[in-house]
Amino acid sequence: MMPALVCAFWISLAASLYLVLSRDTLRCVIGLGLMGNAVNLLLLASGRLQYTQPAVVPPGESALSLAANPLPQALVLTAIVIGFALLCFSLVVVMAIAERSGKDDLLLLRHTEPEDTAPVVPSFLEKEKETP
Amino acid sequence: MHEPVFTKTMRFSLSAVPFLTLAALLALFVGNGPQLPLIFVSQWVPALGVQLAWRIDGLSVLMLFMITGVGSAVFVYANGYMRGNPQRMRMLVLLALFMAAMVFCVCADDLIVLFLGWEATSILSFLLVGFQYEKKTARKSAQQALLITGGGGLFLLIGFLLLAQQGESFSLSSLIQSLPDLPRTPQLYAAMGLILIGAFTKSAQFPFHFWLPNAMAAPTPVSAYLHSATMVKLGIYLLARFDAGLDSSYGWQLCLQTTGSITAAWGMVLVLKERDLKRILAWSTVATLGTLVAFVGLPGQHAAFAVAALLLAHALYKAPLFFVAGNIDKGVGTRIIDHLSGLGRAMPWTASAALLAGISMAGLPFSLGHVTKGLIGLAKETTTVLSIVPMTNLIFNAIAVGVATVAAVRLFWWHPVKTNELGTVQEGSFSMVTPPLVLAGCGIMCGIFPQSLKSLMDQAVQATLQQGALDSLPLQAVTDFDFPLLLMVLILGAIFFFLWDLLHRIVDAVVNPLLKHVGAATFYARALAALPGLAAGFTRRIQHGRLPGYLATILIFCTLILGYLLWQARLYIQQPPLSLNGSAWLAWGAATLIATGAITAATVKSRLTMVLAATLVGYGSALLFLFAGAPDVALTQFVVDTVFVVVVAAVLLTLTKISPAAVPEPGWRPGTFVLALAFATLITLLLMATLSQPFSSEIPDWFSAQSVPAAHGRNVVNVILVDFRAFDTLGEITVVLLSLVAALAVLGKSRGLKLSFPHLHQQNNTSPTASIVVEVAARYLYPLMIAVSLFILFRGHNEPGGGFIGGLLAATASVLWAIAKDVPASWQRMPLQTPLALSATGLGLAAFSGVPGWCAGKEYLTHLWFDLLLGWTTLPLSTTFLFDLGVYLCVWGAVGGYTLHLLAGGEPAENLVVERSAT
Repeated sequence: MMPALVCAFWISLAASLYLVLSRDTLRCVIGLGLMGNAVNLLLLASGRLQYTQPAVVPPGESALSLAANPLPQALVLTAIVIGFALLCFSLVVVMAIAERSGKDDLLLLRHTEPEDTAPVVPSFLEKEKETP
Repeated sequence: MHEPVFTKTMRFSLSAVPFLTLAALLALFVGNGPQLPLIFVSQWVPALGVQLAWRIDGLSVLMLFMITGVGSAVFVYANGYMRGNPQRMRMLVLLALFMAAMVFCVCADDLIVLFLGWEATSILSFLLVGFQYEKKTARKSAQQALLITGGGGLFLLIGFLLLAQQGESFSLSSLIQSLPDLPRTPQLYAAMGLILIGAFTKSAQFPFHFWLPNAMAAPTPVSAYLHSATMVKLGIYLLARFDAGLDSSYGWQLCLQTTGSITAAWGMVLVLKERDLKRILAWSTVATLGTLVAFVGLPGQHAAFAVAALLLAHALYKAPLFFVAGNIDKGVGTRIIDHLSGLGRAMPWTASAALLAGISMAGLPFSLGHVTKGLIGLAKETTTVLSIVPMTNLIFNAIAVGVATVAAVRLFWWHPVKTNELGTVQEGSFSMVTPPLVLAGCGIMCGIFPQSLKSLMDQAVQATLQQGALDSLPLQAVTDFDFPLLLMVLILGAIFFFLWDLLHRIVDAVVNPLLKHVGAATFYARALAALPGLAAGFTRRIQHGRLPGYLATILIFCTLILGYLLWQARLYIQQPPLSLNGSAWLAWGAATLIATGAITAATVKSRLTMVLAATLVGYGSALLFLFAGAPDVALTQFVVDTVFVVVVAAVLLTLTKISPAAVPEPGWRPGTFVLALAFATLITLLLMATLSQPFSSEIPDWFSAQSVPAAHGRNVVNVILVDFRAFDTLGEITVVLLSLVAALAVLGKSRGLKLSFPHLHQQNNTSPTASIVVEVAARYLYPLMIAVSLFILFRGHNEPGGGFIGGLLAATASVLWAIAKDVPASWQRMPLQTPLALSATGLGLAAFSGVPGWCAGKEYLTHLWFDLLLGWTTLPLSTTFLFDLGVYLCVWGAVGGYTLHLLAGGEPAENLVVERSAT
């Protein structure tokens, strides 16, 4: 089972990075979601997959035996919810940006870092007009 | 002019400070003073070895006399010079601060303390040069002075730190003592080089000399105090200090003698270029500073005597000459010497002061200048020097005579015929003529009675020499008349005086074009002009504004570092066992689903297909979780994925509406592919290496064993979430809620809505898009789904389920209702009417669930259990349920809120009725 998990992690991580590096905002955000997914797989894998019995103590017993590791499961469970909140937040930001600027191409979103225009001339280098 | 009593009192008390200090100094050191050096040490930063160490030796005393003596004159003069100027108080305060910084600096024995004083003088010089900040030249000159002296200060700091590291001490005196024995490491040479740069910038040595004449934009008292008498001498002071340890070092001598001589020679040439009296004086100051540096570089005690005497003499004649220039400026209205002549009759007192100062400057007998000249002659005789030093010194003396005669004779007693061109000429007030007279008079008195300076000079020289006591001031030598030399200098001086205008024209014609191309000031201006372009170009290259580029930069960097580290570590990777039993086949099936989805999402051109493929990855992961024995996680993932597809589809709809054209991006990006694959491979290798390590199951075993006895729950995953690590969970749902708040702010602003908790109108409940089938089905499905979600919530402690999954299911119900009816309807159907309120209530509930345990004296979020007796059965109750309910509500509110908002974004704007209900 572990080789399958590792392969799935490898491919989904690579695909998510490829998407994140896109200039399309939506692709970027979907890549973010896939990356979260891949990291969840990594978390689960690092807890080892020794047993595949759910981590539920059978009635009448007082402790788990031969069951899956519950700790990574708890971590992944919250990570999924938080990851989804993060994804939604990113989507909200993407929508807000698109609505305000009318663009969803990351290379065209240059409000804060505009294209360079004329050479920069600070005020203290302006031609001196005042006579001493 | 009326002056408030308070200001007047402040002004007089400020002006009294230098007098009192001077009086204290005189009381202390005249006659049989205390044994020098005086040392005071208190701890400051013991961890770094930095102390508030003060050490007052002969050299410090000499500097202190100059600082307070000239300072007293300057304060009196400034009071008169700035009369009627509303900025007078500012000037006095700045001057007082400057004096304090100077005293601080010359008394400091700790490198860091000295540096602080040094920088303070640079900054105060900046403020004082830019005193008339409304003038552009003043601002420019102030900036130049600060950039050069402040920049030099940075060099000095690095040099100090290097030196302290080499000598393992911050104490200046002990460092200088150990300097001859320190190993000559490259660091030591670097340290001394940097300290030299610092001293040279401060003392306006070539090639940093040009800031000083430009600093003449400052008011006259400032020029007299900072730029002739004291601050520019700080560099000399520091060099003289270090000279005690390096006197015999050949490189040190060579460096100082060459730099000093070049500065002196160049300064003298440029004197001839100027027509402004203050600038003439400034260039002659540069020349004097160069001479001082050159003589610090000469070995032996006679050179040291020459330096000490010249330091004092220069302060006593240059400051009065600046005052004279100030008086002329005030009384006539110009400082250009072409327009000035024959002022003697109208300004007799100023003329007398100029004459006295001029005698000393020219080095005529019965003046301190003459004493200095004798000492310089002695120094030149007794030590082997570079031939450049005596030569430049001779010309220096001649030009000094020329400048002195120009200042003392030409302006006041020459060409009296032109006087009527000048209009009314006013003699300066009492407070403006007394200071130059007194200072210049002191210069003459010291020349007549050189023995009065004996103990001051002896002690100053002793401080700058390494070996203990040497001969005392050679009085005999300095009072002798060296007639041939005197005559030669006088003749040369006379030539310079008479040919001044001719020389000026020649120098102007030759030097000006030269300076325009290769002058240090030109290089400075060019560098300053190039700096913004350089910075802008650099910034544009680094901050190009392309997000994929930024991300790629980060990824490339991480890949290289990680790859290098992994390669270096030569990690052990165990081949994972490839068993192909039933569950392995299932896992491979899920992995194939994930891989297919991921590859499709990454490569497909259509955005809708991409979203669907991404959903496939989620479902595949959910299946994988299920097969790996994680049903809670699998359930969560299933529900999240379902909501995900709805939400992204809604966003896609909006985006398509805003910009229908696809983003022009090539479908296949090979570079990106290689980068993504490389980084993913590295991380995967890291994961495999981790998996090859032995696994300690100590923590999971503890959870497994404690779950039932300690937390009364059989679903260990849920128990971890709500009990063992409840505080973590509390933090996580807080994050979820806060992200919703942030998102609402973003959305509210983008739509021009106020962020409030509005009650929605019900008027748009007939959405044309909703299908009747869906609507009818939803009418029954909605309560059913809520019921199921509650059931999952409450069974979560013992069976797979819990607050997170339940909350997500409830949010799905809200999404269904929004699709079936419309967003406002779904919004209103949520408990508490708004998602934010619901979510916040959930968070509050979860936070409150920890309080009872806390009140019972346990840690916060320790849950309590008790049985409710119902007669026929007992019902176990716990604050755990309260916590899980809080999680449920918080997740429902937050995820539901998000989805509803994003769904609303997909609807036409007129359907978005979000406003206050009519009151």
